[in-house]
Amino acid sequence: MTSIYAALEIGTTRTVLAVGEAESGGRLKVVSHAEIPSSGVRKSQIMDINQATQSIRSVLRENEKNQLAAGNAVTIGNAFLVTSGQHIKADPFQGQAQVGGAKVGAADIEEVVRSSRKMALPRDRELLDIVDQAYGLDALGGIHEPNGMSGRILKLDTLQIHADANRINDARTAANDAHLEIREPLFATTCAAEAVLGEHERRNGALVLDVGGGSTGFAAYAEGYLANAGVIGVGGDHVTNDIAHAFQTTQAQAEELKRHEASAVIGASDGEPRVKVPGSTPLMESRTISRRALDTVVNARLKELFLILREKLEDLDLLHRLHAGVILTGGGAAMRGIDTLIQRELGMPVRVGLPVHVDGLSEVRHPEAFAAVAGALLYAHRNYEEKSLFQTIFGGFLK
Amino acid sequence: MNEKSNSPMLLIGIGGAGCAIARGVNRAFGEGLRYVLADTDATTAGEGEPFLLLGGDRLSGRGSGGDIVSARLAAEDSVDVLDESLEGVRLAVIVTALGGGTGGGATLEAAIHLRSRGIPSVVFATTPFTFEGEARQQNSRGVLSMIEEEANASFFIPLDKLIGDSDNMEEAMRRAVDTLASAVTLFWRLVEKPGYIRLDTERIRHLIANAGRGRFAAVTVQGLDRAPEAVDALARAPLLSEGSGPVRAILCGVLAGEDLRLSEVGKISNGVRTAFGESCAFELATVNDEQTFCGRISVVLMLFEANGKDIDEPQTGSAIAGPRRGRKARNPLASGPQGRGRFNNAEPTVWNGEDLDIPTFVRRNINLDF
Repeated sequence: MTSIYAALEIGTTRTVLAVGEAESGGRLKVVSHAEIPSSGVRKSQIMDINQATQSIRSVLRENEKNQLAAGNAVTIGNAFLVTSGQHIKADPFQGQAQVGGAKVGAADIEEVVRSSRKMALPRDRELLDIVDQAYGLDALGGIHEPNGMSGRILKLDTLQIHADANRINDARTAANDAHLEIREPLFATTCAAEAVLGEHERRNGALVLDVGGGSTGFAAYAEGYLANAGVIGVGGDHVTNDIAHAFQTTQAQAEELKRHEASAVIGASDGEPRVKVPGSTPLMESRTISRRALDTVVNARLKELFLILREKLEDLDLLHRLHAGVILTGGGAAMRGIDTLIQRELGMPVRVGLPVHVDGLSEVRHPEAFAAVAGALLYAHRNYEEKSLFQTIFGGFLK
Repeated sequence: MNEKSNSPMLLIGIGGAGCAIARGVNRAFGEGLRYVLADTDATTAGEGEPFLLLGGDRLSGRGSGGDIVSARLAAEDSVDVLDESLEGVRLAVIVTALGGGTGGGATLEAAIHLRSRGIPSVVFATTPFTFEGEARQQNSRGVLSMIEEEANASFFIPLDKLIGDSDNMEEAMRRAVDTLASAVTLFWRLVEKPGYIRLDTERIRHLIANAGRGRFAAVTVQGLDRAPEAVDALARAPLLSEGSGPVRAILCGVLAGEDLRLSEVGKISNGVRTAFGESCAFELATVNDEQTFCGRISVVLMLFEANGKDIDEPQTGSAIAGPRRGRKARNPLASGPQGRGRFNNAEPTVWNGEDLDIPTFVRRNINLDF
């Protein structure tokens, strides 16, 4: 039986659906995807369930249309939810177990893993993921494989990623209303890391930065595991809002200026010194604004974001452990000059994170914007092998 | 209709003259106006009118005696009563006259209270005739800047400019009230009546969030060349002739019957922008009301001069939320410059006590080289 999975992301600016299928070589291929502008979402959180439901219905229809055009006929019944927003937190938690014999055995490891899953969350929080980091044995830490080692107390450090349960439930409600069951909620940034990060980068230390419309997620990897993660409630929409406020434009005009004219680095653009702003209605005449002023607004916002990030990384003692640099994903990765600015503010190399561990996205214009859904499909592929997530029509997935 | 109407916009007449203006608006607008009258003088109350006696215990309904401080304290005593009129209100418009005690003092307190409740306020206030004497002028000048600070948008209308010097005193006062009531009525119709280019309460809330002090005028014309005549009348309007700073944004409302032509809207739009500021932000709204405006065009023009105001949104999840007293107990996260824009109703992002939803360049006072 072919394993097929779907991942849904209800983002601030766009709602994305991707469908992946396991290939014969064990890799995963995105066989279809669709995206439409989101409605009813602010800062990565659903503000209007009806509008979000409409967005999900539209993206399902769009995906079906794409499937049919490719000669397939599939109705999606459930999907993994890729979620973001500043309500997502990561807390360390350590499990402990007394070593039964003279040396650590399988039963001890099983026991410490069980112990590490016992963190009690408040009722309004929902667990998204528990990431195992490293084992410790008595005073010894940073152990990757404790089996056979001698000691008395075995420890396992984990990172527990959790979210506001109400926000997740809102997404579930919106999806259910669109006749789509949410299989499991996943954290967008660690999903993106699954799709873009190489093993050597995990070992050498890397920061995956997922710049979305409503928030920016970060996942810091060091010594081969996820050391910490979080979300800052500032994203590309803040840049748009700042532009709209500075130049008295509509949000749509500001979005166009951000995408096509603005640079995160002041004076880096070789365009005309003044930028044309078309009228917002046919009755409105176009006008021009200073490019330098536009870049100043964008630079101020993004510089602040990266300084906050730098402060967080310093507090977590991670800033100087990320030798492989920053891997940039999300829609915000396309902003002009953002890589240069990150390099300046964080002092580390930057590359755009293409979802290289998944096939089928090479034709997409900005594949880095699909990193999170691609990573969610990878997660599903690795954890739900051989389970069909589809209700198929016409007898199945026709190829 | 009175304060029992479910309109999201509330008109508050404060002081004797403010109440008279609000009554005028009620007469002109008719069914659907949500309004309330407030004064320290109990004799202002008319039969069956929605009236709030300010500071009844303190002043015994005898008025503030021209003392702004007494009026402020009276209004502060009565904010609970005012609260009863604010259920579901999304925008409050205060009409008043400065110079006496209640107009200035109670208006200032009302603006502070509205801000603390997260309800944006627009103040239309007349300033005294020169002949009213230096004491009333001083009263007006003293409170004007404080009201400007607390209200989201404020229009101060010098009576000397509103009314010429040919009228006798009683006639001048009556005409001043009528003129301002007519203008505010047009503003009300602009927001509450349907049109092709709609301006509703939520849009007004957004527009006035950063408005600050403005200039305001309304004209009504008819005839074949009514569009250029309207522009000409506005260009000559004394109330628009001088302000305290350059115009940064224009709100232009065109109200007419079903005979309103697209070319007329274009002429008014272009004419107004040419006359008052071609490069500033421009917002146009139209109202089509055949019954009221048959054959006529009315144009309401608001010129805003500066940015810099903020609206304290109520805390989420509560109908009556946020600190009760404005200036002293304002939410520190909501203080500082405005500009949350589309994030107004979203959970704020706070870092080191700063609301990151407010544009960075505003918080950092970065000067933009336009």
